[in-house]
Amino acid sequence: MLGLSKRTIDEYEASGEIERVYAEIQPTLRVSGVNLNFRTWAAQDHLLPLLWDPLKANCGTDTFEQSADELRATAAASAIRLSRLEAHPAAGLGESQAFQLHEALKLYHFVNPKLLLFTSTVKLALDGELHAPDSFADVSKTPRRVTPGAPPDMYPMAMVDEQPDDTTVQEVFDDIKQTLDLKSVNSDYRTMALWPAYLKAMWRSLKPVTQQQDYTDAADRLRDRSRQLAGQLPLPISLPTRTLEAGGADVDKAIETTAAFECLLPGLILNIALCLRDFVDDDRLSESPWPASYRTLPE
Amino acid sequence: MNWRTYQAQQRVTRLGDRFLSYIDRTDESAGAASQADPVVLLHGIPTWGYLWKDLIPEVAAQRRTLVPDLLGFGFSDQRDCFDRSIDRQAAAIDRWLDQLGIESAAIVAHNIGGGVALRLATLYPERVSQLCVMNTVCYDSWPIELMLQFGHPSANRLVSASKTIGGLALALKSGFAKSPDSDFLEALLAPYRTEVGKRSLVRNAAALNTNQTTEISHLLPSIDVPTLVLWGEDDKFQDIRFGRRLATDIPNAEFVPLSDARHFVMVDRPDEVAKRVSEFLSAGVLNR
Repeated sequence: MLGLSKRTIDEYEASGEIERVYAEIQPTLRVSGVNLNFRTWAAQDHLLPLLWDPLKANCGTDTFEQSADELRATAAASAIRLSRLEAHPAAGLGESQAFQLHEALKLYHFVNPKLLLFTSTVKLALDGELHAPDSFADVSKTPRRVTPGAPPDMYPMAMVDEQPDDTTVQEVFDDIKQTLDLKSVNSDYRTMALWPAYLKAMWRSLKPVTQQQDYTDAADRLRDRSRQLAGQLPLPISLPTRTLEAGGADVDKAIETTAAFECLLPGLILNIALCLRDFVDDDRLSESPWPASYRTLPE
Repeated sequence: MNWRTYQAQQRVTRLGDRFLSYIDRTDESAGAASQADPVVLLHGIPTWGYLWKDLIPEVAAQRRTLVPDLLGFGFSDQRDCFDRSIDRQAAAIDRWLDQLGIESAAIVAHNIGGGVALRLATLYPERVSQLCVMNTVCYDSWPIELMLQFGHPSANRLVSASKTIGGLALALKSGFAKSPDSDFLEALLAPYRTEVGKRSLVRNAAALNTNQTTEISHLLPSIDVPTLVLWGEDDKFQDIRFGRRLATDIPNAEFVPLSDARHFVMVDRPDEVAKRVSEFLSAGVLNR
């Protein structure tokens, strides 16, 4: 089973340093909530601030934004070559329900590649494989900064409880965890569970796709590319394991959790692209739902 | 009808960066009357359009019936970045009616939905052709203590949505003359059972503002459309004296106190409310 701890800290539970980091994550990544990887790292002693603080400057750069968008577009291209899910028509949703589901899928389509890139960066750093970028000394290559803040029309990251009252939803969650070898259900599926008929139809269609070799290959390519892109972020990152140890974090557990997320996220990115394909044409799927704008920092 | 079936019937529209979910229903039996001004049913806090589930068929048999979830409520936008005051809600309803190509409507409203309706009738008078308010907020009748506490930003921040909403459900029971059906009570609060939903409801409560009814009190005598003021006599949340005063200040207002009813008058006396509202709406069509 992947090393994802069941223990997480939800946004409403956050206080102190965790609350501070959660408040920084949302405008920096331009997202309306805090995803499972951060909530999981937050539950490991002192770990989240130790990971976030050295990396956050890079997360606000055009390089990070464009690299994440490249991963998103790559996943979209791969999804177009895989089978259609057609879960949306099968779920029989009403107009408002379908609208909200579409908006929720756009949210995860946008943010999940950022999570993968961040996770790959952490993984490389913990493995001691990150090097100071050569270009940093060149002032003309100082990265542009992304204008922070979640897009005003982005759907909120609403989700059902991980132990839902609805037995149908619980059954699907159990099957997802068993099939994908997880301890926790990702935010994405918990959001889809707001529309139980959709979650059920989606998983029925998606489950066999996840067993296909083309799917596995596409996920592997995404992971490899994410590592390449993580190694090209523009600002120096200092995340030695001794710093984590000195800060009170369990390094082995941090490495295990990070590796598990890096393993999980490429598939999740593909899944969301497959789901979104029920709503938009292939050209639209390739475009970013919320392209970044940039700001110039004073010298 | 269970709440998920109701939700599946909701349509949706964008209002700028926000979105609003609503029911739009006209039954064949409405016949020619369906061409009369539509009827808009406005819910209050902490409910959503589902509050009107039993009245909707009665009204839709007469007229086109529109039931929005106010912004921040039900299955309308719940993001944490906009003002949910009744001032902004009235502006949103005005904009929404514009989008639907509706010049004027009969407004039937409860609780803070009544506050929205009173603002529409006084500040957007061309929008309202008939007005029916039930146990509405008005003057300085609100916010009630329960909602003042609920809306405090830190009051429920560290408490899970399930516990928060469970506690609210218990407190709401005093709004009913008889203990409400547990499925119905759960349905009324269903949109708020996620952390996002809980936070949205807290923000809705934080937006309750007495000034937004006191500032229109002097305009109430300018309301010149037929008005029905229905009130559950035993309401613990909105005292009946406010209903009497409202019916005195609004010309052409009829005041109808209903016995054996508290705040949720449409639940406590569904048949009587349906009868009164139907008669009121029918008279409006006949008088045009």
